[in-house]
Amino acid sequence: MSEKLTRTQLKNLERLGGVNPADAPFSRRQFVTQVGGFAAAAGAAVAGGLYLRDRWGMVGVEPPPPVTLRSFAVERDPSKPTLAIVRRRDPGAEATGSAVDDDPAFRMIKAGIDALGGIERFIKRDDVVVVKPNVAFDKNPDLAATTQPDAVEAVIRLCRAAGARRVIVCDNPINNPESCFFKTKVGDAALRAGAELMLPKESYFEPLYIGGETITQTWKMFHRPFKEATKVIGIAPVKDHNLCKATVTMKNWYGLLGNPRNQFHQDIHGIISDFALMIQPTLVIADGRKLLMQHGPTGGSLNDVKVGDTVVVGTDHVAVDSWCVSRLLEKPRGEIVYLDKALVKTAARNIAAADWRPQWTVEVTA
Amino acid sequence: MVWIRRLYEVLFLGLFLFFLVITDLRYLKGWPVSLFLEATPLVAVATALSTHTIYRNLVWGLLILAVTMMLGRVWCNWMCPFGILHHFFGWIGNRRNVKQAIESNRYRKIYAIKYYILAVMLVLASIWVIPTLWNAPREIGDAYRGTSLSSTGLARVWDAVGLGLVRAAAAAKHDNATLQIGLLDPIALTVRSMTTAILPSVHKASEQVYTENREYMWGWIVGVIFIGLLVANWWIPRFFCRVLCPLGALLGVFSRFALWRIDRDPVRCTDCDLCLKSCEGASDPHKDLRKSECFVCLNCIEDCPHDALTFRFLPRKASEVTYPEVGRRQIMLAGLAGLIAFPMVRRSGLVTKNFQRQAMRPPGSVAEDEFLRRCIKCDQCIRVCPTNVLQPALFETGTEGLWTPIMISKMGWCELNCTLCSQVCPTGAIREISIEEKLGVGPFESKGPIKTGTAFYNHGRCLPWAMDTHCVVCEEVCPVSPKAIFTRIHKGTDRHGNPIELKRPYIDPVRCIGCGICEHECPVKDDPAVYCTAIGETRSEDRSLLLALVNDGAQDLVSLG
Repeated sequence: MSEKLTRTQLKNLERLGGVNPADAPFSRRQFVTQVGGFAAAAGAAVAGGLYLRDRWGMVGVEPPPPVTLRSFAVERDPSKPTLAIVRRRDPGAEATGSAVDDDPAFRMIKAGIDALGGIERFIKRDDVVVVKPNVAFDKNPDLAATTQPDAVEAVIRLCRAAGARRVIVCDNPINNPESCFFKTKVGDAALRAGAELMLPKESYFEPLYIGGETITQTWKMFHRPFKEATKVIGIAPVKDHNLCKATVTMKNWYGLLGNPRNQFHQDIHGIISDFALMIQPTLVIADGRKLLMQHGPTGGSLNDVKVGDTVVVGTDHVAVDSWCVSRLLEKPRGEIVYLDKALVKTAARNIAAADWRPQWTVEVTA
Repeated sequence: MVWIRRLYEVLFLGLFLFFLVITDLRYLKGWPVSLFLEATPLVAVATALSTHTIYRNLVWGLLILAVTMMLGRVWCNWMCPFGILHHFFGWIGNRRNVKQAIESNRYRKIYAIKYYILAVMLVLASIWVIPTLWNAPREIGDAYRGTSLSSTGLARVWDAVGLGLVRAAAAAKHDNATLQIGLLDPIALTVRSMTTAILPSVHKASEQVYTENREYMWGWIVGVIFIGLLVANWWIPRFFCRVLCPLGALLGVFSRFALWRIDRDPVRCTDCDLCLKSCEGASDPHKDLRKSECFVCLNCIEDCPHDALTFRFLPRKASEVTYPEVGRRQIMLAGLAGLIAFPMVRRSGLVTKNFQRQAMRPPGSVAEDEFLRRCIKCDQCIRVCPTNVLQPALFETGTEGLWTPIMISKMGWCELNCTLCSQVCPTGAIREISIEEKLGVGPFESKGPIKTGTAFYNHGRCLPWAMDTHCVVCEEVCPVSPKAIFTRIHKGTDRHGNPIELKRPYIDPVRCIGCGICEHECPVKDDPAVYCTAIGETRSEDRSLLLALVNDGAQDLVSLG
C-alpha cells in the first residue's frame, strides 16, 4: 500500500495485524478450483443445453413409437376343425328349472375346445393369457348385454388347468369400469377362477399401429395387458346392434380402443373389419346361450333376450361371427358389411385365419 | 465504468423496444424479434425440464448462463429490459436523502422470496420425475431383458439403467408438467404487458402503433400488475428484481461460480456505508459481498470515497457470501407447494375432459398438454397477430392457461394466408408452420389443412333461417376453397303468404378450418348466429370431430393429447 492512509485506515491496518488480506494475490489453488469450477460448470451447462437442443424444433413433440400386436394364433392343424358349435344337451333346462348339471358353461365350452383339439393345443405351460370379455355396460348378465360370468370363469379354469402362468381379464367398458366388472359379475367370476383383473388406467394406453381402412395409422389402445401376453381369448355375447346390426366376437375388440372412440360410429363397418388386421386371437368364443335379439347393444329388458343354448368356439373370429349372425341372430349375412370387408382386408394381408368358410365345422352336443 | 453500463442499458432497452415495435406484419421481415425471450436462461432451463428438449434458439440462454457464471448477474443491470426499466423508474421516483437511500439498500430477509418462487415453478415443470422414478425399475428390467441392448454383463446393467430411465422419463412426460415461469419471467412479463396493455393505450392516444385499435380482454389486469411493479420501486428499490424475479434467482444460484466480483479492501474501507447509497441489488458491498444478489451495476465503486471497492478477478473466498441465503425448510416447503399445486390445478378438467369451447389455439399450436409445457405467456403471438383475434386467456383453458393465447372470433379472425404467430413463438408452443402446411396444399395435401376449430349455426338467430331475411355474409367471407359454407335454396312463404326464396347457409365440417371469419362478420353481432368452437381442431385426436379427418394423417405431430 503505497499511498498515504488516513488515520482510520491505519487503525484498520493495525486491527488486521499490519497485513491487508485484500492485497494478497490469489493462490494457485484458488485459481485452479475457481477457474476449473467455472469451466466445468459452464461447459456442462452449455454442453448439456446443446445436447438437449431441438434444432428442428419438433423432436419434443414427436409421438412415441407405435406398438403392434403380434399374432396370438396357434398354428393351424389340418386335421382339426376351426369352428365348433356346441348345442346344449338339455335345451331350455334353465328356463324350466330342470337343469341337472349346475355348470353348463364349463361343460359346453370345454366340449367346444375339445372338438378343436383340446385346450392343450392352445394353452401351453407358462403362457400368459389375456381373456377379453365384453363388459361394456353395467348390467345384470341375465339381460345378455355382456359376457356371461360363468363362461369367463370356465375359460379361466381351463387355462389354469393347462398351466397358464397368468390369466389377465381386461376390458375398457363404455360405462364405469369398476361398476361394469362388478355388476356383470365378470370381475368376481374372474377373481374366483384365479385370474387377475386389469382395469383401464390412463398409462395403460399406447398408440397401436393398425394401418387399416378406418384407422389408417395409429390409435390409442389398451395395450398394457398385451405386453406380456402370449395367448389371447375373446369371449363375447351374441347381440343385436343398432348400427352395425350384429356384435359378436369381432366387435368385442372395440373394447380395447381408447377415446375418442365414439367417432368410429361414423364408419362402423370400417372399424370392425380393421380389427381383423389389428388382432389375430388364439381363440374366440361366442356365448350364444342367451341371445340379445333386439334393442342392442344395451338391451335392458328380458323381453329382448332369447334362449339360444349354443356356444360357438373357433380360431377365426370372422367365421364365428358369420355363423352366429345368420344362425343365431337370424339376420341376413349380407347385411353385415364388416364381415365382407374383413374378408377382403385379411386376404390382401395374407392373414390365413380369416375366412367365413371354416376349414371344417363340427357340431357337438354337451 | 458506470457510464459504460448506462450506455449498455440504453442500448439493450432500445433494442428491446425496437424489436417490440417491429413485431408487426409491416416491419417484421427476418428480424430476430424473439432474441430477448430466447436469451433468458430461465426459459431454457424450465422448458428443458418440462419438454426434455431446448427449442431451437433458446440455447442463447445458455450463453447468458455462462456469462453469469463468469461475471455474476450482469444480465440484471446491463441487459434485462425489465431490470433497466426498474432502474429507470427507481431513479425518476427517488426522493430519498443519502441516509434514507443507504437504509433502503440494505439486504432484507424478504429478498429470499424469489428463490422460493423459482423453486415452486421449477417443481411445477418437473412433476414427471416422480412417475419416472416410480416406473424406472420396471423399465430398467424390461430394457435389461429386452432385445434392444447388445451389451452383456455389467455393461448391460449400466446400459439398461440408462435406457430404462430415458424410457421412463419419456413415458412420464405427458400430463406431468406445467410451465408457469412465464407469469414472472421478466422478459415474458414485459412483452406481455407491452402487448396487451401499454401499446394499445399508446395507440389509442397517438394512432402510431397499429392501423386499427387493438383491444384485449383483461389486458388492464396485466397493465395494472406491470405499472404496479414499476411503481413499487418507490417503496423498495428494485422491488421486482430483489423480491420476485425467478430469473434473478436462477442467475443468483449460478453466480456462485463467478470469477470476477466486487471486493472490499478492509483497510481502506472506513465503514461509511456510502457504497449502499446506489446499490441496486442490495448485496451488502459494505461487508462480505452477497454474490448471489449483486447486479454488477458498479455504482458502489463510483460512490466509494476511499476507492476501497474494486471489481476483481478471484478475490478472497473469505470475504464473500457465496450462496443465496435461503432456508432449507422454506425451500422444501416451496417445492412441496409446487408438488401439491400441480395435480390440483391440472385436475380441474379444463385441460382434459372439460375443455372449453373457447379454448381455440392459434394454428400450429401443439396439443394442449404439450402447449402448456411450452407456452411462456409472453404473448408475442398476440403482438404480431394482424387481426386482434388472439387474446390473453383468463381461465378459459384452465388456471394454468392464464395469459396464454386463445382465439376470440368476435375480436378478429385467423387470416388465411398468415402464419406470423407461429414464426415468432420462441418456445415452439406454436410450432413454425408454412402457409402450405396451414392450408394443406403441396406436400401437405394428404394431411389436409390445419384446423383450429369448427363453425356451427344457431338457427334461432340466423337471418335466413329464422327471420325470412336474405344474408349469407358468412358464405361470402368463408376463405377456403371450395367454401366450407354452402347454401341450399329454401322456397316457402312469408308471414303474409307471399312466396319467398331464401339461401340458407350450411357448414361442411370437412372443409371448415375454424378461422372464425364467419363469426366475426355475422351481422348478429352480440351473439353471432354462426360461431366457432374448439372441437374438430387437428392438433390432437382428443379434440377431433370427424373420423374421416383424424386418421387421415390430418392430425398434428402430437397424437397423444
